[in-house]
Amino acid sequence: MLIALVAVLHVFVSHFAVGGGFFLVVTESLARRQNDAVLLDYCKRHSKFFALLTLVFGAISGVGIWFTIGLVSPEATSSLIHTFVWAWAIEWVFFFVEIAAAIIYAKSWDSLSSRDHQIVGWIYFVAAWMSLFVINGILTFMLTPGRWIETQNFWDGMFNPTFLPSLVARTAVSVILAGIFGYITLPRNEGREKVSRWAAMWMMAGAMVLPLSLWWYFSRIPLFSQLYLNGVLIGVRHAVRGGVGFTLMALVIALVCGVWKPRWMRPPVVALLVVCGLGMIGAGEYLREFVRKPWVINQVIYANDIRAAQVEALQAKGVSHTANFLLTGDTAGLAYGENLFQLQCGSCHAASGYRGMRHRVDGWDAAFAADILQHIHMLRGTMPPYAGDEQDRKALGQYLASLNPAWQFNVTDANRLEIGEKVFGARCGHCHTVNGNFRPLRGAFEKETPSQVQEIFPALGAMSSNMPEFNAPDDQAQALAFYISHEANLPISHTAAPTEMPTGSNHSQLLRPAEPRQEVR
Amino acid sequence: MQTIPIPHVDPLPLPGPVWLFTALLLVVFTLHVAAMNSALGGGIWTLWNYLRGRHSEHPYSRRLANELAQLLPTFLAFTVTLGVAALLFVQVLFGNFLYTSSILIGSLWLAVIPLVMVAYYGFYYFSYTAEKGKGIAGCVLAISVCVLLCIAFIFVNNMTLMLSPGRWLAMYRAHPNGWNLNLGDHSVIPRYLHIINGAIALFSAILAHLGMRKMKADAAYGRWLVQRAALVFAACTGLQFLLGMWLLLAIPREIAMVLLRDPLAGAVFGLSLISVISAMLMILLGSLSEKPSPLVHIGFGMTLVTLLLMVSLRYLLRLAYLKPYVSLGALAVRSQIGVIVLFLILFVGGLATVGYMLWLVARGAKTRVSAMAPR
Repeated sequence: MLIALVAVLHVFVSHFAVGGGFFLVVTESLARRQNDAVLLDYCKRHSKFFALLTLVFGAISGVGIWFTIGLVSPEATSSLIHTFVWAWAIEWVFFFVEIAAAIIYAKSWDSLSSRDHQIVGWIYFVAAWMSLFVINGILTFMLTPGRWIETQNFWDGMFNPTFLPSLVARTAVSVILAGIFGYITLPRNEGREKVSRWAAMWMMAGAMVLPLSLWWYFSRIPLFSQLYLNGVLIGVRHAVRGGVGFTLMALVIALVCGVWKPRWMRPPVVALLVVCGLGMIGAGEYLREFVRKPWVINQVIYANDIRAAQVEALQAKGVSHTANFLLTGDTAGLAYGENLFQLQCGSCHAASGYRGMRHRVDGWDAAFAADILQHIHMLRGTMPPYAGDEQDRKALGQYLASLNPAWQFNVTDANRLEIGEKVFGARCGHCHTVNGNFRPLRGAFEKETPSQVQEIFPALGAMSSNMPEFNAPDDQAQALAFYISHEANLPISHTAAPTEMPTGSNHSQLLRPAEPRQEVR
Repeated sequence: MQTIPIPHVDPLPLPGPVWLFTALLLVVFTLHVAAMNSALGGGIWTLWNYLRGRHSEHPYSRRLANELAQLLPTFLAFTVTLGVAALLFVQVLFGNFLYTSSILIGSLWLAVIPLVMVAYYGFYYFSYTAEKGKGIAGCVLAISVCVLLCIAFIFVNNMTLMLSPGRWLAMYRAHPNGWNLNLGDHSVIPRYLHIINGAIALFSAILAHLGMRKMKADAAYGRWLVQRAALVFAACTGLQFLLGMWLLLAIPREIAMVLLRDPLAGAVFGLSLISVISAMLMILLGSLSEKPSPLVHIGFGMTLVTLLLMVSLRYLLRLAYLKPYVSLGALAVRSQIGVIVLFLILFVGGLATVGYMLWLVARGAKTRVSAMAPR
């Protein structure tokens, strides 16, 4: 979580480092042309703030991302390095020039002639934008490697299908952020209105380009990513709404307090504006990362740092025969299961806390957990396939089941429905809804009585290769059957789920994310 | 017996020849160390002179502290910038070793990032407040220096741990959460002290060189600086010999023997000894007279040569450590020629651009001085 926060803050500041540099040098040239001492003074103060923020926080947090990805995904990092080391080397050259220019620009207001000072400013901006240009290629490669998959050619990977739209979008975001940060050093009295309207203009300019470029980007990403963005998953929907909301709010603030009534642009409003900018970036980066799941490099390496090409061997031979770092020699017990959890799930999940497993597996017994691991990639389309043999699955299942005490219920008529819903959440809800659009069960169980529903349970495992065996205790099975029958027979208008689910996403579409995986194997 | 686990080499071929990565690594790492020594050694010099300069009888110390205060943030900026490049190239060649050792000390390794930020903002704070000489400026600088010393210690631990795959599994089993240090390796402490002492020595050589330039504007101040820096340089270099011997005794015998058996390593070692002794003699001799002589400049140059040789020696010893586990010559290579050429062009272009900006600054300073001069 902390890592994600650092990454988002880095993106926030580094985009400002691009747009803010542009803003500074354009504003400086405007001030000099108009002979506006107040505006020039603003530029000086702003450049000091700019240097302190971008040189220290921006640059160091960028190194922080290097450190972090090496720890979390060494395999993927190594793969990216082997493909793009020269791109990074080129990016580093621009970074080096950028740092040198930023230091000189902020320090030499009085010692350089106006022409020379602006030259340094332009050098800064070009270097900063070029480093964005290069990094953008590597970032977009991870979702859309394009022809690189066949050719493994550097240029195919670099100038991949989403390179251009993403570059335009990121540039637009940089310009918006330049406007937002421009308010931080807003003059208190003289020049306040001019700077305020000027910064708002930057935000508007960026905001005009952003939606078009995002639409362009959306049209180029893989189908499974488009489906996530279309609202199949709740987390994604919140992020989309949040991103749009924050951006609109920032624009409204800019129009009202920036253009119309600049004297309202007081520190709390500026703080709110910065929060909006951060929210916009946070949502965007979250989505960019999320829509790539289950991959870290699409079709090459899964989010848990296992290569697609390794999965088959791991499933055949088992992890204990291939892993280098096991904490225990006993490859069947609970300790081994915990070790497997760290190895294969630890990139994204903790036992409790961020994406914690404890509440996700509440109600699972060891056998069910082992069984569901076999179908893990079918759950929501965001999980990679389980890369281990049967013994591994049993050990991991044992560990997952150990995270919670086994369920004990005293089922009565009063609580049957409630317990049934809980059991449904634990046993069925990861892949199904009753009345929703997400693999709905209504069709199968409409007009069935609880006992008819329960009769089907023992046959579930044989019904489809994607279904786990049903092994819940009898009282839970009864409650579950009661719940399913009750829900499936509700008049459809009583169910809230369909309005929650977007139109157009149905079972068959949801399964599409799994396709590329099979192609790779 | 259990075999020693090493993560596999990346299945993708290296995108360029090993010699090129090696050369780039040595160049950028040498520059990184020079910048790091300026930040750390400079921080220590500044702190000492700042504290000393609070007494009215040491005006030069005060002046030096104020002058260095303005440079410290820039030194740290370039330490980081050049360090990134070194990290990039070392990952290409030794990624599977470095990633593993980084994971083993992961919690401390990640702590480097906030620590650098603290040190960096501390340097900036000091640069704004040093001249007034009041308040907590000295404390802030002391914290920054301590933080840099901690960072160096974490780095030494990681860089030695990546050389010792034999320790990994036991360490991981003992503390899988990343709270490890490599203190079981007896070379860590002498190596750390060698690096810290070296940083003070190298920055002293830089100061001696700068002092010569200062003499043009203010002969007394410049001479004071040259002589003081030369003495510290000589003392630290003397100590460096002792620390170096300790380090040689602390590393495994078969690794130390490489210095005798391998002609290249032996030659680099011998040359570095010659160059450091001559650097010490030149800086001392050049600074002792009433009017310090240009020998100091040559001594400074020899110090930089020593640094390059020491960095190369470090690299050769790393190869010796990892010899049982990796052979760089055997790695598959598929050079991305077009991109390499583009990088080299941009690299030269980038250096030229920075040079051009520095030229602009120098020209600006000159114009300002001539404009201010009495007519």
